[in-house]
Amino acid sequence: MKRILIEYEKCDGCKNCSAACMQAHRENPGTIYDLDLGDPKNESRNRILKDAKGQYKPLFCRHCDDPECVKSCMSGALYKDPESGHVLYDQTRCGSCFMCVMNCPFGVLKPDTVTKSKVIKCDFCADAGGDPSCVKSCPKKAIYVEEV
Amino acid sequence: MKYVIIGAGVAGVEAAKVIRGQDPAGEILMVSVDTHIHSRCMLHKYIAGEREESGLDFTEKDFLNRYGVTWKNGVRAEKIRPETKEILLSNGETITYGKLLIASGADSFIPPVGELRKASNVYGLRNLSDAQAIVQEAREAQNVLVIGSGLVGLDAAYGLLERGKTITVVEMADRILPVQLDAHAAGAYQKAFEQAGTRFILSRKASQAACEADGKIHKVILDNGDEIACDLIIVAAGVRPALACLEGSGIAYDRAVTVDASMKTSAEHVYAAGDITGLSGIWPNAADQGRIAGKSMCGLPATYTDTYAMKNTINFFGLVTLCVGRVREEEGDESWVKEDHTQYKRILAKDGKVQGTLLQGDIAGAGIWQYLIKNQIDIRHIEKDIFDVSYADFYSVGEKGKYEWVS
Repeated sequence: MKRILIEYEKCDGCKNCSAACMQAHRENPGTIYDLDLGDPKNESRNRILKDAKGQYKPLFCRHCDDPECVKSCMSGALYKDPESGHVLYDQTRCGSCFMCVMNCPFGVLKPDTVTKSKVIKCDFCADAGGDPSCVKSCPKKAIYVEEV
Repeated sequence: MKYVIIGAGVAGVEAAKVIRGQDPAGEILMVSVDTHIHSRCMLHKYIAGEREESGLDFTEKDFLNRYGVTWKNGVRAEKIRPETKEILLSNGETITYGKLLIASGADSFIPPVGELRKASNVYGLRNLSDAQAIVQEAREAQNVLVIGSGLVGLDAAYGLLERGKTITVVEMADRILPVQLDAHAAGAYQKAFEQAGTRFILSRKASQAACEADGKIHKVILDNGDEIACDLIIVAAGVRPALACLEGSGIAYDRAVTVDASMKTSAEHVYAAGDITGLSGIWPNAADQGRIAGKSMCGLPATYTDTYAMKNTINFFGLVTLCVGRVREEEGDESWVKEDHTQYKRILAKDGKVQGTLLQGDIAGAGIWQYLIKNQIDIRHIEKDIFDVSYADFYSVGEKGKYEWVS
């Protein structure tokens, strides 16, 4: 399975990864130059957190081996794809209960800001051939994809 | 080996999946009263008309075939005889087992008030069959009385509001969702339901209810003498483990089936998981118990350790809430509140350890609170606004890029 590996010491907090994620999942087509960063519908699946000392800590879905989100899903919307190993999300099945948000011990998941009806979840840019946009956009090579 | 699973809820289904993973050739037979595999957490969507029966199925596509599970549905396990490893079913059939999992869940509790237990228009809301009967009754009924304002009561109210019914909810406590929320957070849901047309009567109990000639209750009298007219009554006063099949079996139970940490009952080869164990009423825990039981039934060492159950998420009308841990403030607690027009957040801590977190409106990334509370992690050393505490403060990337908690 492919996972986005993280060397947080290299992260300088530029948030290119978050902008790239928003761009990759936007509803209307366009380029990063016309992406509306203020539109609450444009949400990033990753976040750059900061600890109390000011160190950047990139938060990216781990597509866990034993995913708590999948284990808490009461609708079958979240599942571990047997082929890719990634944790995928079928929005049409989701019951919007958000037990997955409660159970992800790293706080990766969140409800969508506007409708509170779906989960904002990394899909490994499946629509773009499974090549994560965040990784391509990182100027510091703090994140990279590896087979694990 | 022949494995029999009583119940087609998440505990039974998860057990079946684990068993098949361990024993490719074993026979797995699932027996249930339910005729559809369904998620009980989505019954409100069925009542509301948002989903059909098939849309409540939480299993993966082709679950029965994929895992080689034979399913006898529409039958009840009436008696279990561990000495002969037999189960008597409601259709008169007797089946045998090598290993048995009892995951038959719980039944709605209808309190012995007036003739609530006798009337034909009184329903609990536990199974799809309840939801189907409610929808059927609601074709004729207009005035609905919901007794109890916990999550099930509000699920019923929500679903029937969507069908245009007139809803009255009676609650004994002085606020709705009294187990999950504080008065402030509960008030926000009360307002949302009231705006949708629900009437709440708080601090009151139903005290009299008599059947009329048609076998239905058309008015309920409260403990202050007020009368509530109704054509349909939903009782949401909790559930009780479905223990009937255990009577005379010799399997130890009290208010619930007794299990050890491997989910084994007092009888050899008999295990239990889910609501019948009384250990927790929530989905992730029932699923986990099912998986542990499945492993144990296959002879693997497994123990149910992640038992923390004081956790809930709520979502009505797009207002989301997460509540983990203790709601009620105690002496010696430190508390923090943050509120603006989009959110209300409250944290209780004692000696630097968070005891309860309530987040309403914004629950983004809130999964860390369960971890902090259930593991009683001291956060005093983190020099941050408590609402800004995040996984960054416990961050570590381990082997193969996995996150680990460090504190």
